[in-house]
Amino acid sequence: MSDTPTPSQPRPFRRWLDRLPQWAGPLAALMLLVIYTVAHEFLRGGGLAFLRPENLINIVYQWSFVGIIAIGMTLAMTLGGIDLSVGSLVAFIGGLGIWVMNTVITAPGIIQSVRESAEIGITPDYGAFRAAMAHAFVSIGVGGSEAWGAAAGMAVMLVVGPLAGLLHGVLIAKGRISPLIVTLGGLAAYRSLAQSLVDGGEFRSSSPVIFGYLGQGGIPLFGGLRLPYPVIFFALAAVAAYVLLNRTRYGRYVTAIGCNERAAVYSAIPVGRIKMLTYTLVGLASAVSALLVSSRMNSVSSGQTGLFYELDAIAAVVVGGTRMRGGAGTIAGTVIGVLMLGVIGNMLNMLDAPVYLQGLVKGVVIVAAVLVQRRDGRES
Amino acid sequence: MSVAADASNPLIAVRGIVKDFAATRALDGVNLDIRAGEVLGLVGENGAGKSTLMKVLGGIETPTAGSVSIDGHIMNLRGPADAQRLGIAMIHQELNLVDELTVADNIFLGRERVHVGAGRWFVDRAVTRAGAWKWLAEISADIDPDTPVKRLSIAQKQMVEIARALSCDARVLIMDEPTAVLTARETTALLAEVRRLRGRGVAIVYISHLLGEVLGVCDRVVVLRDGRLVTVVTPGELGTGHVAEARLASLMVGREMADHFPPREPSRPGVVLEVKGLSVAGRVEEAGFTLHDGEILGFAGLIGAGRTELAEGIVGLRRVAFSDGGGITLSGKPLKIGDVRDSVEAGIAYLSEDRKGHGLVLGMGVAENTTLAALRGFCRPLIDRGAEEVVTAEYVRALSIRVGGLRDRIDTLSGGNQQKIALAKWLQTGPKVLILDEPTRGVDIGAKEEIYRHIQMLTRRGVSCIVISSELNELLGLCHRVIVMRRGRIAATLDGAAATEEGVMYHAAGVGATDAMGDA
Ligand SMILES: Nc1ncnc2c1ncn2[C@@H]1O[C@H](COP(=O)(O)OP(=O)(O)OP(=O)(O)O)[C@@H](O)[C@H]1O
Ligand SMILES: [Mg+2]
Repeated sequence: MSDTPTPSQPRPFRRWLDRLPQWAGPLAALMLLVIYTVAHEFLRGGGLAFLRPENLINIVYQWSFVGIIAIGMTLAMTLGGIDLSVGSLVAFIGGLGIWVMNTVITAPGIIQSVRESAEIGITPDYGAFRAAMAHAFVSIGVGGSEAWGAAAGMAVMLVVGPLAGLLHGVLIAKGRISPLIVTLGGLAAYRSLAQSLVDGGEFRSSSPVIFGYLGQGGIPLFGGLRLPYPVIFFALAAVAAYVLLNRTRYGRYVTAIGCNERAAVYSAIPVGRIKMLTYTLVGLASAVSALLVSSRMNSVSSGQTGLFYELDAIAAVVVGGTRMRGGAGTIAGTVIGVLMLGVIGNMLNMLDAPVYLQGLVKGVVIVAAVLVQRRDGRES
Repeated sequence: MSVAADASNPLIAVRGIVKDFAATRALDGVNLDIRAGEVLGLVGENGAGKSTLMKVLGGIETPTAGSVSIDGHIMNLRGPADAQRLGIAMIHQELNLVDELTVADNIFLGRERVHVGAGRWFVDRAVTRAGAWKWLAEISADIDPDTPVKRLSIAQKQMVEIARALSCDARVLIMDEPTAVLTARETTALLAEVRRLRGRGVAIVYISHLLGEVLGVCDRVVVLRDGRLVTVVTPGELGTGHVAEARLASLMVGREMADHFPPREPSRPGVVLEVKGLSVAGRVEEAGFTLHDGEILGFAGLIGAGRTELAEGIVGLRRVAFSDGGGITLSGKPLKIGDVRDSVEAGIAYLSEDRKGHGLVLGMGVAENTTLAALRGFCRPLIDRGAEEVVTAEYVRALSIRVGGLRDRIDTLSGGNQQKIALAKWLQTGPKVLILDEPTRGVDIGAKEEIYRHIQMLTRRGVSCIVISSELNELLGLCHRVIVMRRGRIAATLDGAAATEEGVMYHAAGVGATDAMGDA
């Protein structure tokens, strides 16, 4: 008889609470933050500056780069894993892409410079490898083309990111090394690689127009507003990951592995392949993020670009209700988590909070948000 | 309804306990007395509320209404620690051991034995080990206290759980299906211990679906149905033997119970699975057998006989070795042992005996678990959630599984109902060979019947089954032939008239049966 609801229903409020999705808590917190900020601004006589569409769009724009990574991170963390390498990977991929793009665009110049150096007997500015690449690009007829250069750079990014992810996946699944260790190694290695390519400096794009298009452009909306492309990519990534996680075999398997890996093995789930695919997807997310962020700045700083992306992404994921131990992940929650981090930063600026205290506020909000979500006490 | 009146001072008095889980009322006003020096049986169908009631006594669940008094005082148990302080120890239906720790450390987990004096910050290893030896010996469990728990079989883990509960020196000992995975020998030792404890004035609550056991050891038996206490009987009132069991079963399910083994149909001559010379390091030696088309082949043996290991070896969950000329053939073709996925692909499904550790993904829902091993069939290419629910609902009906909603988390189901979902998961893969390891573990007597009927229906459709069970009745009633394993070897294959309880026991313990008992 327990399958028919009993007539007396105890504590209706509790039951109503239990039915809410996991991300309801963070959403409520986000609303509170927004209301508080708006009220504060208004009372101060600042009008509704926070609510102005350009401000809101700007918040999402600024956080879409981390957001895309956070979407990938949600998959990894639902699987019971983690990826700490994403920030460094963004710097490396972005830098490498620009480096390749510049080689294409400036190929004739490189060849000439190398030839001139040889004539007057000094060491050339460019290494033999880069000179050979320049020759190759010129010989296939793309040397000097800005469009081809941008295309090549982006293609390199979109290939190298997933490859790096696949490498992590193989080490984790086949090498049986903990994801924390593997990607901690990546965290150190990729940034170092990026820095060594430019001696710790900056990758400056040689594409004045085309390369910046995706990161800086957008779809025009009403009243001179634009919806920036990175925001659109963020939204697309979220929708794709949502479908993947909730409606496909892959997603079901990710959840199962995160919950109980042994049961997954016994259920004939290809655990290794699912892990490799997941880290490859995180690599893809890093690549897309790297592409957009480098395009937006039209440069990559080997020391600064992508710094702490991994921490912001993880923060967004846990604020959104995904369990650190795996098995329960929500994409909607992660999106809310990203927005929340964005709103906190923006709000603190508007409230003229001391810059050095902003990290503290962020930290407290993250811990508090996770604390209030622990409705299923035994599970946390 | 309770017959408490004659007992002047119950140790525990449960009054009007109600427990609601969201939309499910698990307990609906239960009154119950538990007296010192008695063994109180608790029986009921899967999902009747037995475990929930005991969890209330163990301080794990807070009742929605009602009270629990201990020694005449109303107690507000806020956690297992409270219950333990009051002298209530509990053996849970599901295992709760720390896999990485040793047997001895698990037995004294939370009650570590420490040195005296200045050394009190350090665990006294010698005392811990000696204590563990003592309690394991008490229940004739042949387990080395220094073994990490993760290396034990599920039955051995259960023995460790029992030793842990005993070592608490509790006044009240609650046992939730302690013998579901134990074989006759361990069960006998456990029941002897239960009687000893009763003699010392301990109150024991004994939950089991093995009614013969309940009638044999309990002084009073409480029957729960749908969260309500139906009646309290003494075994004497019910008569003896099978009559008493049948009467008790009828009280549980609320209708007359028929004989629970439907008649067998003959198997067909073709050989479906042939295993020759298969060894699993340290567990199985040169095992070989054949499985015929439409046959139900039983595997009997004591704990550690290697039955589970053999099955896991066949499906690729363990590394195996073959002697010369050995190998596995499936429908005449050599079977390449890879991993579980290859086996499932080839048409062999294996239901694990450990539903919590290996069988189910507890964080996921009922439907998600049911379709997990056969998910490909539900992808077009996105998962068809509707089809998933239709199929799940079908099993819920066929195996009378008690669930709230089809997407409810599986850990909100009672133990027996979880077991049925684990079984459904493998039925759904549509195998040619179905290996069932303790398929009816924790399943009530009515649902067992349905599972037996389902297995027979499958054999009519061309499925062949291997059934590993610690319940001898089940093997003898269901299987065409019974293979008896002993210490990793196949000791005998019994069929027809030779397949009797005595025959199986004789081969399981070996010719030197007394030696085997002696070295425990
Ligand atoms: N945490 C929970 N959330 C929701 N429902 C629950 C929860 N725990 C138990 N239930 C429900 O309460 C009822 C009683 O469950 P309980 O585990 O007490 O049954 P049981 O008598 O021990 O059965 P079994 O013989 O299968 O072990 C079941 O319908 C079950 O689905
Ligand atoms: Mg139970």
